Formats: sequence, structure tokens, C-alpha cells
Amino acid sequence: MICGFCGHEFDENDGIKGCGGCSGGCHNVHCPRCNYKNPLEPALVKSIKKLFIKNDKGDKL
Amino acid sequence: MATSSSNTETSKGSVEVKRVALVGNPNVGKSVLFNALTGAYVTVSNYPGTSVEVTRGNTTIEQQEWQVIDTPGMYSIHTITEEERVAREILLKETPDVVLHVLDARNLERMLAMTIQLIEAELPVVLVVNIMDEAERIGLKIDLELLSQRLGIPVIGAATARKRGIEEIRLAISDYRCDSNNSKRFAYSRLLEHDITEVAGLMQADYVLSRRALALLLLQQDEEISALVQQSEGDRYPIVAEKVREIAFKRRESFHLDLSMERKEIVRKLIKQVFFAPEKRVVTLSERLSTIAVRPLTGVPLLLIVLYFGLYKFVGEFGAGTVVDVLEGKLFEELFNPWITGVVKGLVPWEIIQELIVGEYGIITLGIRYAVGIILPIVATFFIFFSFLEDTGYFPRLALLVDRMFKHIGMSGRAVIPMVLGFGCDTMATMVTRTLETTRERVIATLLLALAIPCSAQLGVILGLLSMAPGALLVWGVCMLLLFILVGLLAAQVMPGEPPMFYMELPPMRMPQFTNVLTKTYTRMQWYFMEILPLFIIASVLLWLGKVTGFFEKLITAMTPVMASIGLPKETAVAFIFGFFRRDYGAAGLYDLQSKGLMDARQLTVAAVTLTLFIPCVAQFLVMKNERGWLTASAIGIFVSLFAYGSGFVLNKFLLLTGLLA
Repeated sequence: MICGFCGHEFDENDGIKGCGGCSGGCHNVHCPRCNYKNPLEPALVKSIKKLFIKNDKGDKL
Repeated sequence: MATSSSNTETSKGSVEVKRVALVGNPNVGKSVLFNALTGAYVTVSNYPGTSVEVTRGNTTIEQQEWQVIDTPGMYSIHTITEEERVAREILLKETPDVVLHVLDARNLERMLAMTIQLIEAELPVVLVVNIMDEAERIGLKIDLELLSQRLGIPVIGAATARKRGIEEIRLAISDYRCDSNNSKRFAYSRLLEHDITEVAGLMQADYVLSRRALALLLLQQDEEISALVQQSEGDRYPIVAEKVREIAFKRRESFHLDLSMERKEIVRKLIKQVFFAPEKRVVTLSERLSTIAVRPLTGVPLLLIVLYFGLYKFVGEFGAGTVVDVLEGKLFEELFNPWITGVVKGLVPWEIIQELIVGEYGIITLGIRYAVGIILPIVATFFIFFSFLEDTGYFPRLALLVDRMFKHIGMSGRAVIPMVLGFGCDTMATMVTRTLETTRERVIATLLLALAIPCSAQLGVILGLLSMAPGALLVWGVCMLLLFILVGLLAAQVMPGEPPMFYMELPPMRMPQFTNVLTKTYTRMQWYFMEILPLFIIASVLLWLGKVTGFFEKLITAMTPVMASIGLPKETAVAFIFGFFRRDYGAAGLYDLQSKGLMDARQLTVAAVTLTLFIPCVAQFLVMKNERGWLTASAIGIFVSLFAYGSGFVLNKFLLLTGLLA
């Protein structure tokens, strides 16, 4: 993912998660470089995107 | 001559693992290349004895196992920052088999100076000229083959973000053969060459870096290299040190400048007929916008335009006006509330329970109406605006723009991150203040967030409310800005200290992507709503309890003289009590009072200013306590409450005296 503030490209797993600040669980990832709070993609959006990727592959085949 | 130590690791099953290190300036796409080379399985750990993180991963190229090390950003092998020191330590201690120097094609001339240093140090360098796509877009042309011939190392053109050049890089890693006879020597001036030869000639031990590179680092007074040479040379070191001292004395402080000028000249010759820039450089729209955004003369008007259209017109007029009118005014007040009240009254015979669900402070008629009818549309429009701006890359430019002003109030441009986030939610922003450099900066930022930064929902409601009274919004805006600066200046005086440093590389400005904006807005709204809904329901229950026990009435009566002293009707106390639960809840309370016609323009402005400055909500106070401790949090809480009241009092008197907003 790309940090919304400094533009640093990092893997979601490299960001800092679970700082305990958000009630209702962690749903942000802080940029490892500038610590900007980037929202995590919700599961629903992820699955929709995956669907499109699969469709793309399918089309190419 | 650098020693070519064999550094291949032998892991379980006698598989030889070679190492490749990625080095280069920050923001040149090292991490993207790292991810492209390694895939998902990586380890991140602090480099021993430091807080700098180093990422490692593995890859197989042509049946050979490679460990890929993503080093922190460095500008030169003469190190200044801790990150640079760690990057050099990796080169010195882990002796990678291949060093991939990644640079930005658009800044080839500036970044090649480090390539020269790496070659000079006789490291196994492969040059990756990255971001070629952007360079080509602005009309730059690079003859990579000629550059490779001149440098004597493999040079690969790439655009790693678009997966261009990845295969060539993998091939270059696997095909790399260290040939020290082929290594190029870049000649400096006669005087400098003489100095280098004198120092290098006195060293006899074996080193990872070449003696020529070490001599240059010694002459640059590099303490770590001095320690390394001292350790390696033993008894011979005093002679080396004396020679370095002698040359340093002769050259005084001009050595760094001379070296840098000479390297520039070498690079200039190197890129002759290699690097072609169009006669008239193509200045893209994003570059033009970027320049406008960071220069004070153009940046401030641009900021005002952004705020006017984004916050005032879109969030204030459209979100808090049009959409709230439809949702709260029409849907809730005219349709949903009368219907649900009828249903509940028909089903529940006890008046006290009816009151809890659909009464004056009922869970549905107040809590859910506020959350869905008022806050949700405002927050939605605010997050659309926020995500849009975020996706354009405007925020880092805003940080640079305000850096100078922030320095006067004891903070740096870095504090823009919590300040900007504060407009979303002050509680989260308070937590982010921990990333600021100094304690002083953290305390000032916490104070200003608690005092003068309204959260999105509160801001939206206030914008919506005040835009109905001409001039009120201007008075509120001027008040908030002046108080922000005044308190910042005072805080910086009370807590003296060095102004913090701030610099950052600006990412390019870009056209926001519709899907990005939509996804970010959806995510933020989803979590925000899930967070506020239970709190609004709890607040409704507490208010209902206060009402049935008579406590609420007593509290309002007790607050009446305070409200009267700042010229507000006693009903405003309700909004302030709401505000203590959450700032946005209080703002929604003001919205209710205004729609009932209980306040004129002056009272509305005084109430809005006082409520914006008023004590932060419970959640923010708790985070302040966690981040800054009980003492600071309590001191800020008390100061903010008194200051809010004092400002309301002075503003009310001022408006009465001048007849402004009458």
C-alpha cells in the first residue's frame, strides 16, 4: 500500500498495527516511515477486488 | 584494494545463500523492488543496537538462494543519520555479494555521486536506474549502455512500480561476476589525488572498502571509519591519523566542499552524451501545482480556496446543509420519528421506558437521529473531501507550507500529520502526537488539538450552522486561527527548547483515483460510525437517567449563570453537557437549538467558539492521560475549560460592544 501522507510504498504487514487506540479493534495501519494512519481496506472491498482480478485473469484466458 | 571476502552463508542442507543489498536515497523505489524480488515472506527487525528497522527476504534466482536486504535510505557512504550508519554497517559487516544501487532516473545527476562512491569503494555494484517511466514522460533520455561502459558496472533501466526491468535485475544479480581489474577509477584533481595517495599509502590492513574510499572518509573526519582504521592498523594508526590531521589543517573546512565539487564535475563528465534533457524542460501540471502549493505567496491562497470549496461549500453547505436537511429534517423529524414514537408507545405501556426509547433524549429520537441524521452525512462529506485531498498528495505540501509558521509555536511541519488527522478525530490525532520529535512538541500539539482543532463532525455542524448567519463563520474562523496562534506562541514561550528539524521528500502530486477515494471514505466512515453509534446510545441513556432523576435539570440550573455570563440562553448548557460525551454530539445539540430558533447570530457564534474550544470529549481526555500522563492531561483539561469560557466571555463582550453580528 502507498502511504497517504508521505507516499512511501510499503507492505501492509510492515506497517504498525494494533496500537490500541481505536475502539472496536484495529482497522488502520501506520506508515513505517512517517507514522501516518492509513485505513486498512475492509474485507468486503478486498473480496470485491479479488473478484475483479479473477475475472481479469479469466478474460485473458 | 578491498578484500573480496566470501560471505555466502551455508544453511541447513548445505545450501549456499548469497546476499544482495539494496541501497539508495529514500523514495527511489527500493522497497517496491524488494517486494518484487522477495514476495510475501519477509522479516523485519531492528538492526542490533539501533531503532532502525531492516527488512530481509529470500529469493531464488537460477537455482541460487539469495537473501535480499532492504537497507535504510542513504545519501552518501559518508554517513550523517542513524539510518545511513546502519546502511553502511550492512555493507561493511555483511559484505553482500551484490550491491544494487537504486536511483531515480529523474535525479540521475544528483544521485550518481553515490554510485561513484560505491564503485570507488570497490563494492560489487549493479546500478538500477529506476522510475524510467516518469523520466521518459517528462522527456528525459538516458543512454544506459554508454553509462554502463563509463561506470564499468551493469546498469539496468527499470520502473519497478510497473514491474518493468525486474527480470533484467534478477538476471544481473545472478550473472554478476566481481572483476576488480575492470573497476573504474574516477580521477580527482592533482591535489586531492595526492592527499588520497598519501593517506591510503599508510594503510596496510585488509578492509571491505577500498583504501582509496577509506582515505576519503578519513579526510572527511568520519569518526566510525577512524575507529575502524585505528582497530585494524593498530600501531600504525597514529601515523595515519597524523597525516589526516596535517591535510585537514592545510585544507581547513574547504575539504568537504572541494570533494563535493569535484564529484559533481566527475558526474557532469560521466553523463555527457548519456543524459539528455529536452531544451525546454517539460513541466508537468502536477509539478506546477506542487510548486504553487508549497510557496507561501501562492500556497496560502490555494489553501484558502481548498478550504472554501472543500470545507465550506462541500462539507458545510452541502453535507451539513442539504443532506442533513433531507435526512434529519425530512426523514427523521417528519417521517421516521413520528412513526417509531407511535409504534413504541403502542407496544410499551410504561411511560418511563417510552421516554428512554423515543423521548426528548431517547435512544432513537435523539441518539440515533443525531448519529444517522446529523453526524453521518457530515462525516461522509468530510471524509470524501479528506480522502480526495489525501490521494492528490497535497498533505505533505501543506506540511512544508506551514513548517515555518509551526516553528514559531514550537512545532515543525511534521505536526501537520496529527493536526490534519485531528480534523477527522482528535482522539486518534492525540495518539499520533507520539511520533513528534521532542516532548515539548508533543505537549504543544496535544494542547492545540484539545483546544483549537474541531473534529470533522463538529466542524461540519459548525460550518453548516454558521453559514446561515452572515459573518458568523468569518468571526468564528478568525477567532480560532488567532487563538491557535496565540496559545501556540504562549506555549512555546512557557516551554522553551530548540525548534525541531523537519524535512521530507515530496511524493509526486497525482490525479486522485476514484476507487481509492471511495475505498478510504467507506473504510473511515464504517469505523467512525461503528465507534460513535454505541457512544451516542450510551449518552442518550445517561441523559435519560439524568432527566428521570432530576440531576440533569439541576446541572442545567447550575450552569445557567455561567451560560448567561457569556450571553447564552440556559438551553445551551444542554449542548455543552452533550459535548463532554463527544464534541460532535455537542455540536449536534447546538444544531438542534438553532433549528428551534433559540439563538441569534451573536449567541450562535459565541456558543460555537466556546464549544469548539471547550474541554475535549471523554475519549480524548483518556488518550491524553495515556500519552502525556495524569498531570499534563489534567492541566490541559483545566486550562482548556477556563480558556474556552474566557474566550466566550471576551468574544461576547466584544460583539456586544461593536454591534458586530447584531
